[in-house]
Amino acid sequence: MTRAVSRKRLITQEKIVFAIFVLLFLGFSLFLPGFLTANNVALLLQSVSVLGILSVAMGATIIAGAIDLSMVALMAMSVAWALQLVNNGMPVPLAMLIGGGSAILVGIINGVLVAYVEIPPLFATLATAACIYGFGRFGLISQDTVYLPKNLGWIAELGHGRVYGLPMPVIVFAVLAAAIALVMNYTKFGRFAYAIGDNRATARITGVPVRPVLVLQYTVSAIVAFIAGLVQATAINSMNTRITDTLLIYEVILVVVLGGIGLSGGKGGIRNVVVGTLLIGTFLNGMTIMNIQFTAQNAIKGLILLTAIAIDQVINPRDEQTSQQGDI
Amino acid sequence: MTSMDQAETLATRPAAAKRPTARYPFEGLVKLRARLVPSHILGEIMSKQWIDSAVPATFMVLVIGLFLIVAPGFFTGANISDGGRQLGEFGLVALGMMVVIMGGGIDLSVGSIFALGNFTALALTNLFDWPVAAVLPCVVLICAFAGLINGVLIGYFRLRAFLTTLVSLITIRALVDVLLLEFAVDISAGFYDSAIWDFAGAGDVLGLPTSFVVLVVVAIAIHLFLSRTRLGWHVMAVGGSRRSAHNVGISVRRTVCGTYVLSGALAGLAAFLYAARLGNGGSYPGAGMEIFALTAVIVGGTSLGGGRGSVAKALMGSIIVLMINLGVVQMGLQSGAGQLVLGLILLLAIAIDVRFIRNREKILSRLYMSPTYFSLPEAPDAEQPASSYALNDQLGDVSLIGLGKLDGAEDVIFDAQDNLYCGDRLGNIVRFDGPDYQEGKVFAHIGGHPLGLAFDRAGVLYVCVGGMGLYRVHPDGRAEKATDQTNRSAFSIIDDSRMRLADDLDIAPDGRVFFSEATTRYDMETWPADALESRGSGRIVCYDPAKNTTRTILRKLVFPNGVCVEPGGQSLLFAESWACRVSRYWFAGPKEGQVERVIENLPGYPDNVNRASDGNYWMALMGMRSPALDLALRMPDFRRRMALEVAPDEWLYPNINAGCIVKFTADGKVLETLWDRHAENHPMITSMREHKGALYLGGILNNRIGKHVLKDADPNWTAGASYWGQR
Amino acid sequence: MKNMKKWAAIGLLSMAAILSLTSVKPVAAETEVEGINDPTIAPYFESMKGKKIGYVPFSMSYDLSKGWLAGMEIQAKELGYEIITRDPNWNTDVGVQAMDQLINSKPDIIVLQNPDLQSYAKLLKRGTEAGIKFISVNIKSAYPSYYIGEEWQLNGMAEAQYIVDKCGKDTGRSGKVAIVQGILTSAASAYQIRGVTEVFSKHPEIQVVSNQSANWDAGKAQEITRTVLQQHPDLCGVIGFWDGMDIGAGSAVKEANMQDKVFVVSSGGGYKEAACDRLEDGTYSAYFSYDVRGQAQDINTVIRILLQTNPAPDAFKFTLPTRGVMLTKDNIKPGSCWTMDSFK
Repeated sequence: MTRAVSRKRLITQEKIVFAIFVLLFLGFSLFLPGFLTANNVALLLQSVSVLGILSVAMGATIIAGAIDLSMVALMAMSVAWALQLVNNGMPVPLAMLIGGGSAILVGIINGVLVAYVEIPPLFATLATAACIYGFGRFGLISQDTVYLPKNLGWIAELGHGRVYGLPMPVIVFAVLAAAIALVMNYTKFGRFAYAIGDNRATARITGVPVRPVLVLQYTVSAIVAFIAGLVQATAINSMNTRITDTLLIYEVILVVVLGGIGLSGGKGGIRNVVVGTLLIGTFLNGMTIMNIQFTAQNAIKGLILLTAIAIDQVINPRDEQTSQQGDI
Repeated sequence: MTSMDQAETLATRPAAAKRPTARYPFEGLVKLRARLVPSHILGEIMSKQWIDSAVPATFMVLVIGLFLIVAPGFFTGANISDGGRQLGEFGLVALGMMVVIMGGGIDLSVGSIFALGNFTALALTNLFDWPVAAVLPCVVLICAFAGLINGVLIGYFRLRAFLTTLVSLITIRALVDVLLLEFAVDISAGFYDSAIWDFAGAGDVLGLPTSFVVLVVVAIAIHLFLSRTRLGWHVMAVGGSRRSAHNVGISVRRTVCGTYVLSGALAGLAAFLYAARLGNGGSYPGAGMEIFALTAVIVGGTSLGGGRGSVAKALMGSIIVLMINLGVVQMGLQSGAGQLVLGLILLLAIAIDVRFIRNREKILSRLYMSPTYFSLPEAPDAEQPASSYALNDQLGDVSLIGLGKLDGAEDVIFDAQDNLYCGDRLGNIVRFDGPDYQEGKVFAHIGGHPLGLAFDRAGVLYVCVGGMGLYRVHPDGRAEKATDQTNRSAFSIIDDSRMRLADDLDIAPDGRVFFSEATTRYDMETWPADALESRGSGRIVCYDPAKNTTRTILRKLVFPNGVCVEPGGQSLLFAESWACRVSRYWFAGPKEGQVERVIENLPGYPDNVNRASDGNYWMALMGMRSPALDLALRMPDFRRRMALEVAPDEWLYPNINAGCIVKFTADGKVLETLWDRHAENHPMITSMREHKGALYLGGILNNRIGKHVLKDADPNWTAGASYWGQR
Repeated sequence: MKNMKKWAAIGLLSMAAILSLTSVKPVAAETEVEGINDPTIAPYFESMKGKKIGYVPFSMSYDLSKGWLAGMEIQAKELGYEIITRDPNWNTDVGVQAMDQLINSKPDIIVLQNPDLQSYAKLLKRGTEAGIKFISVNIKSAYPSYYIGEEWQLNGMAEAQYIVDKCGKDTGRSGKVAIVQGILTSAASAYQIRGVTEVFSKHPEIQVVSNQSANWDAGKAQEITRTVLQQHPDLCGVIGFWDGMDIGAGSAVKEANMQDKVFVVSSGGGYKEAACDRLEDGTYSAYFSYDVRGQAQDINTVIRILLQTNPAPDAFKFTLPTRGVMLTKDNIKPGSCWTMDSFK
């Protein structure tokens, strides 16, 4: 199925999800006291901004037909390492350079593994995630929680401050989403990414530099992960490396798929990610207001994801004739 | 080879056989090395299916060796016993994962299902005090049901396996947490007293931990399931290509669903054993197990995306992963080391999987070819008018039969009613009704590529079918297999019991069928490569219809091709194509078992040999030698380099585009040679059959049969009468 | 009786050993050894030398386990026994493997931190029957073992009491409280919530407006607290169950600039960065510290007792609860919290 065809469809997953989001939002506004206030909406956005930042990069990666499961491990380890270096007395810029540089290095490694060694992205990044966490814990950081140093300066504002009443994390999310959306839609790199995701072999034959584009894609993903990590760490005054063990990375995929970006690549856009993020944010915020327990939230979240992929199946049906080997 | 001396005396050389005089430096050493070093073995080992398992096996040995060195005390009795129990549990989960992956899916929910099974087992024992006989099936069924949900969603509703099982991972884990919150305290308070329960958790069978024994039993069962049952093949087929499986009528949806049910059930069984061992009602069992199981399966060499894998591989992978986990703990390394090592190993394993296995055929085809030293005397010169091979244009007036309707009639033959039979590339036996042979009809369909043909006393047509073996076609057109396997050679690495390239045959008066198999190393499509090797890898096989036995009687022949039983009924002539020679083998009489040379140093590559009406023999030369290839045959390294560095289309092959027919006497004297000098009517000849004063020509690359009228031949002579008498 | 005989034998043997040494020595010695030789000193050292102590925390990656180990190592060096550390890194299955292997190598004592009441119970049974002594730290086991550490229920009660004091009757505050729990199935969380609710049940003026699990995750705790603050701007208190998670809750309050109105109380091992620094910067208003230094001291004491007395497997398993201290910005002193240097 080509993009042109799917565009022509009247009912897309994005529209459905957006409709659900609107319904949910209206429902909560009517029945949940204290939901529809400017402050709560800002809060709602703030609570999903780290998730959103990660999802935007993940969305772009998935559009290019790849996936990056190492983002959360990378964000935890690179930022924790940088913070620890500052705590140990290193100047902030140098420590940030080292942290960000190591993130970029990991991104390049991911890209090389996927593009040149041709390891399926799912497993390449799954393995690098284990390596990043393992190496970080074994060689760099001996403690789960690295506390935020006091002398971070403006960087600390990433998670704390507010501009015109909007929390900084939301602004970071918005800026990154806009930037990546522009890149994906209006630059050669972005259009190449779509072409690769749509059909890697065809893109290659057509002359698209498939391998460099993929490496770049993973590098971008790594940089975004580092930024997300800074936002997360400055917001909660610490970076807990055990965040790697949580289901966060799966929630990122949930947001992306929920928004209607097909896992097979080439379809959707950053807008879908934003819609998915909004739905999840509304949902989580409502759940928290309703005082619903964490485990129950997880179960409900699972059901939502299931619904999303079921809708995906209805809209983009796959059967025995169209399925490809290794497309899981 | 016996009685070379006799052969010397018997064979009358058609031309003085000069050994090539100009030798290149160290040619003797090269020859010696080619004779001593069995270089073809490497390629043959690489071609074995089990080489796939060799990588994880080597890895496993390395890991064990490593821990023997760095963590002494790791392999003490108690640790091995505990490790065996853990392997029992983990191996079961990995086996389930392996089956799912082989079916083209993935199951990330195994860890959560495992936790669910563990909870169920503990709740049923400690809380409800059920008997073990009821607990075990209940646990397995509940977990199988969880797998069924996965299976229905993925198999029947075609949802994505990765995401769907991810959802199961999250929701089932949440469910277990909720249940634990409710029951954890009561579970820890309960006490369950059962000998069977204790046996499952801590017992031994013949000194082996119970769970290990369970694993072995289940592993054998799954191995048999995958390799010996229809359903197991369906799993492989679906994993290999979902579309093809669907199109051949396999119920893809049911098969896929089934793999998840099996995976769930196995996780349940593992959880039951785990619960019996530890009674751990905490919330963490099975956390992260999906990654470990996945690593085990991939490290073992099961391909992502399906279609390739085995029980042995999954078990080796499990051992590797478990060993590393346990070893890192034993060494007391700082946490993170385990993840780091496993992550690196997973990367390495997938890289090998992707790089090596995907390119294995390529590597194999390069490595498999193993040319050897082969020296031929200088070829007789057909340009010399005095030579018995001298060029002429006797075949220039050949009339054609079935032009354009045939494709690859390697051999031709006549029945007692003068009807003409030949094979073709589509696997048919085509019959042209005599006497005008205008109309060709498919007489029988066998498959493969029918090559040599021969009638037995009862008029049953025996056919050598390339790629299939020896078949026979009854007069009513019914085809059946005569034999397709012979005794396996004791020290052969490749399995040479199957027929790969049965070529030509003849039938002795007692009904025994002697047929040549040109090579045991190559197939119908790749046989020209055998010419580049010039290694003796062909054989002559005898099939006895009376006893229905098949035995190999002569080995290590260089592309044995034409076979012709001599009128005496005690010997046969056989031609070896790349060796350019004809030999006689005595299968009965005083010289039984002996081989003697009849003609050496032919100017071309001999193919079929058949009787002539005047008591001599006709022989087809399918192509002529060239000095360049003759020289190349003395340079095995040159040919190997050529095979490695040059595309197969550009290789130096023997010419098989233009040949001729030779008539020779029983003692090897060449009487005459028939050429199609202008190469228009019938230049490519692989066989000829004399029938009632004419010679009928077949050619494996031709689209026709040729008929050449012999001037002074007996117009009533038929081969059938010559073999079986007038009827 | 059996032990008495054994001790007598050891005493005699070591006396003999010392006597034999001294009987050789005097020839070389210039001065006479004066005074009475204490016969219990040698057996004391003898009973420690070359012993093997296993140490299996739930993870080596956080302040508590590091502090305990640092304390234990000082005494181990002094008395000449060996500590074998295994790090399950929060993974119960790895912990089980580590325990299994340790038990197989037959150490004298294993100091462990249970992941929950259940997971190691069967292993403890097996090990105890094999004559190994188990010292559980901070989390008890369903199978009896010597216990040192937190009484979580008391901890919860103390935190609740602090909130009652700040937000309860006669304080003029709303009495609205949020509780941020850890993983619900973990013993530490389950006991604490028991203690908290026990206290609150006696104080009807306290209104629990949110009682949720943040899964020991700071980010999640922050999210919950933010939402609760939004819903209840007059919130008075937040009770957290572990400092590693509560930093998120505290940050949410700080971020809303409400640290003067909302009392965040946390608990933990009293590590400086996690406790005193956070009290000083206003993240928490109170911190219930079960001081790791004291716990390490207790572990060392119990090790010395067990190594000398070598009690039978069925001996009584005693409990040494840690005495917690409620730290606030006003009562902290330089020594209230510890750093790794405290053990040097």
